[in-house]
Amino acid sequence: MKMSVLALLLLGLVGAASAKPWWMHGVESNQNDFLDPDVAFRVGAAVDGNVVRVRWVIADGYYLYRHKIEIKAESPDLVVSTPLLPAGALKTDPYLGTQEIFRQQVEATATFTRVDAGAHPMEIKVTYQGCADAGLCYPPITKVLMPEHAAAAAAPAPHPWEGVAILGGGFAFLCAGLLLRKGRKLDLPAA
Amino acid sequence: MNTSGLRIGAAALLVVVGIWAGARIHFHRVSTQNPPGVVSVPAGVASAPNPSDLALPAPKIPDRLPQFSLEDRTGKATSIASFEGKSLIINFWATWCAPCRSEIPLLERLHAEWVGRGVSVVGIAVDYRDKVLEFADRFKIGYPLLIGEQDALDAAAAFGVETPVFPFTVFTDRRGEVVALFIGELHKPQADLILSEVENLNSGRVQLPAARRAIEEGLWALKSPGTG
Repeated sequence: MKMSVLALLLLGLVGAASAKPWWMHGVESNQNDFLDPDVAFRVGAAVDGNVVRVRWVIADGYYLYRHKIEIKAESPDLVVSTPLLPAGALKTDPYLGTQEIFRQQVEATATFTRVDAGAHPMEIKVTYQGCADAGLCYPPITKVLMPEHAAAAAAPAPHPWEGVAILGGGFAFLCAGLLLRKGRKLDLPAA
Repeated sequence: MNTSGLRIGAAALLVVVGIWAGARIHFHRVSTQNPPGVVSVPAGVASAPNPSDLALPAPKIPDRLPQFSLEDRTGKATSIASFEGKSLIINFWATWCAPCRSEIPLLERLHAEWVGRGVSVVGIAVDYRDKVLEFADRFKIGYPLLIGEQDALDAAAAFGVETPVFPFTVFTDRRGEVVALFIGELHKPQADLILSEVENLNSGRVQLPAARRAIEEGLWALKSPGTG
């Protein structure tokens, strides 16, 4: 009983610590109410044939504006088409009117050509802009990405225990063989 | 059961366990990788151990109102020091930012309500000058506006906001002490709470640490769904 009371107290303390208001963090602002833009909007890119695909993963309570998304060539030998985006959800704002937005995740695709057959590493420049439902907007973010090759991206890294499993399986098989073999005489054909 | 039977059983068990372990690891690996064709997105700082590491960087807020000058609506360079002796509600905003636009009616009301008590709203638009002037005319913004691009970003940085986000609002008392920096859309209950502490500071009823503590506790109490 005493232990459970202590545990509850500890839990309460931990809860109180994590729920500490901004002032008690020694921070004179409520910046903890909002995510860092690179956490709110995570972005990655991959190349699949002559198509580059850029994907954003958007935190709950945050959104990206469809018309603010841009994909441009960064490497000098690259030509990228206007990106294709799915239709967004409609958001009506009393000041900005109706806008298309994306929540959770979105993938843009664009075709590309390379004029000097890949002498430069492939780099694209992506721009996006979004806000938080709680009432905060981030200025447009521009990032230069080096898209992964889709085949390389699809090839999974070996699981760290896979080697152990293979060796263990071999060892188990050897043990099984030894167990079955034990006590039997060699039955060689007569010379 | 004879010895040979036991041996066969043990060997079979070993083989079955080996196959099970291998299969388990293989399927775990398959289930944790992206389905084919899905672009992998880096985790960023999402693996940070402390949730506050995921938040906006903490602004290094100055104790006192920093000095800076920006152009007003007529193009005249105006120093923030020209508001000396007044408590200020300094609101950083941009025309493209929906929450900034939606808090403007509140800022208008606050300015009208508090101007007689030595409090002034100062809007700092971080945006293109022509867009701001057009917007200010259309929405009949009555409080003073300062406008700038990089120079306005520098002013935001002077308040410790290095990663610009909009809107954010700084409250100072009449001595120029920075009382609070509120990030995100301001609502009336939060504004009233902070301003009542600014008033307490101005009248000497409280000292800055007590005012800040009261603001912190009050904002925490207001934090419920719908109040931001």
